[in-house]
Amino acid sequence: MTTKYMQNTSTTSLQDASDEFLIQKFKEGGKEVFDVLYHRHLPKVYKRVRYVIPESDVEDVTQEIFIAALKSLPSFRGDSQFATWLRTLTNHKVAEFYRKRTRKQEPRLAPLSDAAAKVTGSTSQSLEEHIYLQKALQNLPENYREVILLRFAEDMQFNEIAELMTQNLEATKSLFRRAITALRNQLEQ
Amino acid sequence: MKQSDENNEIDNQLADFTDRLLKGRTEDPASISDEELLSLERTIVRLTDTFPSEPLEDAKVKQMLVRLKARAKREDEQVKPSFWKRIFDFQSNPQVGLLIGAAMIVILVLISIPISSGPGSSLSGAADAGGGNPYIALGLMGILFIIYWVSRRK
Repeated sequence: MTTKYMQNTSTTSLQDASDEFLIQKFKEGGKEVFDVLYHRHLPKVYKRVRYVIPESDVEDVTQEIFIAALKSLPSFRGDSQFATWLRTLTNHKVAEFYRKRTRKQEPRLAPLSDAAAKVTGSTSQSLEEHIYLQKALQNLPENYREVILLRFAEDMQFNEIAELMTQNLEATKSLFRRAITALRNQLEQ
Repeated sequence: MKQSDENNEIDNQLADFTDRLLKGRTEDPASISDEELLSLERTIVRLTDTFPSEPLEDAKVKQMLVRLKARAKREDEQVKPSFWKRIFDFQSNPQVGLLIGAAMIVILVLISIPISSGPGSSLSGAADAGGGNPYIALGLMGILFIIYWVSRRK
């Protein structure tokens, strides 16, 4: 009973612990803390990947990101926040996904197929819109795509984005408007 | 100056619209008179409609974690060190290090002891005393060193 209570307490304290503390624990050999980091960061990573990767590959690419994180975590120096580090890793893996596709001479985005529609439970029309928007996002300049993903995929507030991008709030909102304008223009092409 | 103020106004209105939309307070973009702002808001609505904010199901999260762990374990097993590397990993395998060290000493001792040529050959034995072939000893040590060096590179 006591052991069970202690285990619960320990799990609860890990849930509340900072990323830095968990990473330190991981480096000291507490491999189980990776689960806490995984549960904490999966939703945002998954959502970000969903915006830019075809639906049928979202899980695989997310898996690749966390495998890479697991392997690289021992060498994580903490120069940046873990979330920032993971975001960079995500962007690398997304770029790698498209590089591999290009090498295989496959289309940049998955073709519309009934099978894919069946998997996601989407209608052909909504799947087509999904692909269309993903393609438009992929064609945006990196800083435009980033501000859109931070606001919509990661649900960050404009002041948080401004802080992350080390610029003022006005400049961030202006960047956001230019990004949406570029997206609209891509969609109209 | 006026143009800059107008741009700032549009930036703020678009940001406010996005905030309201993401908080679930749906606004009808059609009520806005500014054509440019209206089309930008429609783009945002299109984006949020295509990528609705759905929380990941617990079952899916668990399933993904199980798959992740299975793959990590598989990859761990695949990168197991080679036989030679394991043999020469003295830190985790000190007994092997001791054995190899002892074997080297035995080899050196054997080489440096003159080969007895049987009874009646005391003269040649005396002449050979202390004269074990140093080239063979150096050669054997060299071979052991090369094996060790190659195993470290693998």
